[in-house]
Amino acid sequence: MGTPKAALEWHGSTLLRRTVGIVARATNGPVVVVRAIGQDLPGLPEGTLVADDPREGKGPVQGIAAGLAALSGRAEVAFVSSTDMPFLHPAFIRRVLGVVEEGHSTDVALPVARGYRQPLAAAYRVTLAEAAERLVKQDRLRPAFLFAECQVETLDDATLKRDPVLAALDPDLDSVLNVNTPADYAAARARPAPEVTVQLFGTLAKGSNASGPHVVRAATVGGAADALGLVFDRHVTAALNGDQITRDRTTPLAAGDTVFFLSADAGG
Amino acid sequence: MPAGGYFGQALVVDVTSGTSRNQPLPDSVLRGYIGGSGLGTWLLCQLGTAGADPLGPRAPLAFVFSPLVGTPLTTSAKFAVVAKSPLTGMLTDALASSQFAIAGKLTGHDAIVIDGRAPELSVLLVDGDGIRLTSAAHLAGMTAADTDRHVRGELGRGWRVAAIGPAGELGIRYATISHDGRHAGRGGLGAVMGAKNLKAIAVRAAAKVATADPAAVLAAARDLRERSFGPATAKYRELGTLANLLTFNAISALPTRNFQAATFDGAAELAGPTAGNVAGDAPGDIQGMRRVARSSCASCTIGCEHIYRSRGGKQARVEYENVFALGPMCGVSDPDAVLAASARCDELGIDTISAGGTIAWAMECAERGLIDAPWLRFGDSAALLRALDEIGDRGTPLGSLLAEGSRRASRTVGADSASFASHVKGLEMPGYEPRTLHAMALGLAVNARGADHNRSGAYEADLSGDLDRLDGGDAHVAAAIETEDRAAVMDSLILCKFLRGVFTDPFTEWAGLLSAVTGWEVSGGELRETARRIVMAKRVYNIREGWQPADDWLPDRLLNEPLSLPSGRVATLSADRLRAMIGSYYKMRSLDPEGRPDPATVDDLGLA
Repeated sequence: MGTPKAALEWHGSTLLRRTVGIVARATNGPVVVVRAIGQDLPGLPEGTLVADDPREGKGPVQGIAAGLAALSGRAEVAFVSSTDMPFLHPAFIRRVLGVVEEGHSTDVALPVARGYRQPLAAAYRVTLAEAAERLVKQDRLRPAFLFAECQVETLDDATLKRDPVLAALDPDLDSVLNVNTPADYAAARARPAPEVTVQLFGTLAKGSNASGPHVVRAATVGGAADALGLVFDRHVTAALNGDQITRDRTTPLAAGDTVFFLSADAGG
Repeated sequence: MPAGGYFGQALVVDVTSGTSRNQPLPDSVLRGYIGGSGLGTWLLCQLGTAGADPLGPRAPLAFVFSPLVGTPLTTSAKFAVVAKSPLTGMLTDALASSQFAIAGKLTGHDAIVIDGRAPELSVLLVDGDGIRLTSAAHLAGMTAADTDRHVRGELGRGWRVAAIGPAGELGIRYATISHDGRHAGRGGLGAVMGAKNLKAIAVRAAAKVATADPAAVLAAARDLRERSFGPATAKYRELGTLANLLTFNAISALPTRNFQAATFDGAAELAGPTAGNVAGDAPGDIQGMRRVARSSCASCTIGCEHIYRSRGGKQARVEYENVFALGPMCGVSDPDAVLAASARCDELGIDTISAGGTIAWAMECAERGLIDAPWLRFGDSAALLRALDEIGDRGTPLGSLLAEGSRRASRTVGADSASFASHVKGLEMPGYEPRTLHAMALGLAVNARGADHNRSGAYEADLSGDLDRLDGGDAHVAAAIETEDRAAVMDSLILCKFLRGVFTDPFTEWAGLLSAVTGWEVSGGELRETARRIVMAKRVYNIREGWQPADDWLPDRLLNEPLSLPSGRVATLSADRLRAMIGSYYKMRSLDPEGRPDPATVDDLGLA
């Protein structure tokens, strides 16, 4: 595609920035980006961990091993994602993670969505890092080898969508759609940004901008501000779903999100 | 010759004997503590008797001015009132504004400190002729506003008056001191003044004070004035702090029903924009109330005061804290009732936050069967107003109980009622939910004044987007310290905190202002040291008065009852997390693990 996937633009952000932001929201934990040694990465939010993959060209299990190793001692379960899934939804991540977090004997929650196994949209126990590393050393590079050594729970479309939140927000499980070819990328870019709800508070709700709620299409917080003609400067912050507060324009949004724009001087 | 902006002396008045003396204030003290809250702390350490009953004659009450008072710098017409709090038993320093600050300073003093107890209810007069005490028997039971009018009417032009309402006379532990409708509100300073048998203090200018570099002061004043019209103050100017209510509700930071929830179903009724379907609605109106006026303190270009009239006809100044405390905190969503309750607090002269917090605690007690008051229920407007009336004249056992504040009342009621009494060090909590604002949780826990949003503005860090407000750690601690330091300087200079957003390099800019006024060559670094000195001096004073490590803590409810957020996250502030943040705070402040400074640090404060 002429550009590394991580740096591909999608509705005002890069695919990597988007993926990191979506995963961070869903996990409340550290996010590790695994890269080839020396690989340039597009801008990432503060606090993102970057791990170098010591062996290039060894496939997904090597990346999984490096990522899980970097999380050792920091988390018990990790969601592993490729960087090229622009429609990945936090509800999908929470659904998959929950299977391992709540199933004491389950090591891997493996979606089999839209007809395919999705090892790069799955949840893994961090303790699998050792087994993955050993398999790479043995040159057994397919995820199936790793799955053969642990307890895997597969999740088909119907099982995934038993979660009503996921069923409502990502009914077609577009979360697992990735971008492998220029045609895939063109198709992804042709799709509109997610539909989100925006509310304005304090002095921001004036003139032509009533407080709302306003329904707009935006893939980032900055995009949501732009949709309402709001200047997202140092006097403005955004609260995502009433939870995290950000000044970062590139913070990704997903379908169903609510963005509250606040005066930065909230408080007494 | 004192530095510019200062007279270099405090007036110390013994109202028992009706005598006074001048206490010299050397440059080293003024430069080290500036004025306002800082200088007041130093004065209290010097003049207060350790362990004195805050409502006894040996507990001084200090009205403290600042070097910027009387200059054209916007928002500088402010004064601090500092004393040992009858609510907390520790230091309390409350700020108020306007002409009393200017006239009080121009009596020729950087502070007026009152000691003793007058033989009868009195008015203290201070002007160029010295001090006099006159009888206030005819003012007994009068509201502070009426007292102000009466005293000025009797004395004539030029006099400015700070007074207490009936609550101060009755020793209600969260009584306020009021000037021109604005209150030195927190910590019960009105009760301290009442215990001195002072209904009012009247001041009249008699002197002039020069600044070191008038041209520089004027230039700075013009610059600040321009900046004060910008976006950093838009909220205060256009909407007032009431705008916080919907914002805090949206982010689950609005304490509701005595901290049993962090969102309030009735928020829109109290602060929602008008639907535009009522004849005469105008910008600034909200659903239940119509804005009828906007005003400002003397020397202020912001104009944050928004006066509202409810559709039922009640009129009052509306701010976030009084609406929070008398509305969501008590479960009341009727704007008429909240405005009426606010107006009643003003008439009595009591702090709305402590009043609302104490009544909310009592409502929960009543609902749990711990207090025999079946009429006292969350959400019941009539109950809120009746409770205020019973407090206001201490006319019933319940009123007398609640006049003591939630901490003392919970000790009387017993059972587990202390676990949901929402205070720190005895001072009722302001409208900031610690479980969803972890930097603020620390700020509230460790602050010298108790649960306070003006001496620690750590919520700014929580709301900045720079850190996770639900995951308190060292970054939150550092941010809390920074806001505490900034507050220490602003409260000592004194500049209104609503101006804080216009400064991009605050300590350096404030140092520039202080240098221009005083002639000292003050740097931003020196002011940072000054901030730390003031914060530490307050802690040292509190330790002297009996502070214990357990006083730096939050109510049990906040540590044991997680909140579920609409996002699906659960907001938890565990005791372990709070303990860790407090430990980091002590370390970053160079305190020992129990929160005490070492002797060398205490010596350096120059308090002895």
